[in-house]
Amino acid sequence: MNLTTDDTKKIFRPQNIDQLDDIINRTREKLTYVAGATDLMLQDEQWNSAEFLLDLTSVRELNTIDFMQDKGILIGSALPVSQIITNSLVQKNFQILIEACRQIGSVQIQNRATLGGNIANASPAGDSLPALNVLDSELWIGPRKNGKFTKSKVSQVMTGAGQNNLKLNSYIATIFIPFQKLEDQFWYFRKLGQRHTLAISKLSLAVLGWKKDQRIEEIRICAGSVSPLVKRAFRTEALLNHQILTENLIESARDALIKEIQPITDIRSTDTYRRLICGEILREMLYDLMK
Amino acid sequence: MKVSLQVNKKMVEIDVPPKKSLLDILRDDLGLIGTKKGCGKGECGACTVIFNGKRVNSCLVPALQLDGSKIITIEGLKNWSAFPMIEKAYIEHGAVQCGFCITGFVISTISLFVETSLPITNEQIKWSLGGNLCRCTGYTKIFEAVYDISNQIDTVQLIKRDWHNEFNN
Repeated sequence: MNLTTDDTKKIFRPQNIDQLDDIINRTREKLTYVAGATDLMLQDEQWNSAEFLLDLTSVRELNTIDFMQDKGILIGSALPVSQIITNSLVQKNFQILIEACRQIGSVQIQNRATLGGNIANASPAGDSLPALNVLDSELWIGPRKNGKFTKSKVSQVMTGAGQNNLKLNSYIATIFIPFQKLEDQFWYFRKLGQRHTLAISKLSLAVLGWKKDQRIEEIRICAGSVSPLVKRAFRTEALLNHQILTENLIESARDALIKEIQPITDIRSTDTYRRLICGEILREMLYDLMK
Repeated sequence: MKVSLQVNKKMVEIDVPPKKSLLDILRDDLGLIGTKKGCGKGECGACTVIFNGKRVNSCLVPALQLDGSKIITIEGLKNWSAFPMIEKAYIEHGAVQCGFCITGFVISTISLFVETSLPITNEQIKWSLGGNLCRCTGYTKIFEAVYDISNQIDTVQLIKRDWHNEFNN
C-alpha cells in the first residue's frame, strides 16, 4: 500500500499474525482495531479520536474457519458472519449460532460484521452473544506470549454495557467453540425486535440442552438485552437440570427467569415488557420441548 | 493515504483520508453519484455496492481497507447483459417512485440471485431485501418485480453469468 509519510506510522494492515504481534510489541500508542467497522464507524467519539488504526481484516489467520479434531471449531475473529452462516461445518454442528448470526443487521451488514467485533463491542444487545455463551465458547486473545494466546470465556471479557476487560492493544484472535453432543440435543433462539431485519433487539433468548425421554439432562439459558451483562441464567438452569418436564416445572422456570434477569427501560422497550416477555418466550420454548 | 482499487473494472488511484467512507469516495472523489447517501449509518441500504464480491453498505467501509479491493456500483451494473431485464421488471411493476433507494435495491436483487439457488421462496426474497428501506412504495411493488425476475430462469442465469464474468476474469 502506498501511504503518505504521515500515515505510514499510523495505519497498519498486517498480512499475518506474526506481523500483527510484531506491530503491537513495538507500538506504545493505543491502537484502534478495525474489523467490519459496522459499529466502529458509528461511534463518533472513538472513531474520530482514533489515531492509530490497525486493520484486522488483512490478517490471514483471523479470517479463517478451522477445526480441531474431536474438539471444536476455530472461527477467526475478523471473519464476516455471512461466511459463518454458509460454512457447512458450522451448519452441521452449531445451528443456534447460525440463527443468531442471521439476526445481525442485514445481509449487507452480515457481509462485514464479525464475531470479534460483536464481542469486543460488548453491547448487551450483541446478537451473537447469547448463542456463544450457551455454546460455552472460548476466546483466544493476542498478542501471543511465548507463542501462546491468553484464553478467556466470552462472559468474562464483557464487564459492562459497552465495556470489556481487554488490555491495551490486546485483540481477540479466535473464537473456539467446542463441539456439542448432537444426540438428544435441542436448541431454541428467539430475537424480538421492531422488525425482522435491521433491528436492535428488545430481547433475545438462546437455549441449548439435552433431553432424554421427558427428562432434561442439561439446559443452558442465556438472554440478551435484559441485563448489562450477557450471561447465563444459572439459577433458572439449576431449576430445570435433571428434571422431568411438567407444566408445574415450566411455570416455575418462567417465574425464575423473570426474577433472574435485570432489564432496564430504554428507547427500545421497557423493563416490565422485557421481563414478562422473556419469561413467556422461555415458557413457549419449554412447552414446545415437552410436546 | 494513497489507495489503488478497481471500480467498475477500472483501476483508480486516489489520495484520501484513511477514515473517509467508500460512499463519500465514490460520490465526491470519483463522481459516481448513482450510489446514494441515505442514513450514513448502515440502516437504509441506499448506499449498497458490491465490495470484493459481497454487497455491503458503502457508508461503513473506511478508505484504509480499500487498497486492492474490487468495487461494483450501479454504474458498472448498467453494462451487464442482465441489466435491461431487471430494469424492465422494476418499471413494469411500478417499483420505482422517488427512486432514491432503487440503486441499492437493484444491487440487492442481483446479489439475491447469486447467493440463493432457484426456486427462491417469498420469504427468501423478503429476507434478502430486508437491508434496503423504501419510503414510497410500501415494498409490495418492489417485491413483485423481484418475484417476477425469480420466475425468469433466463434472466437469473444471465445474472449469474454476468457475475461470474465480473469476478472470475
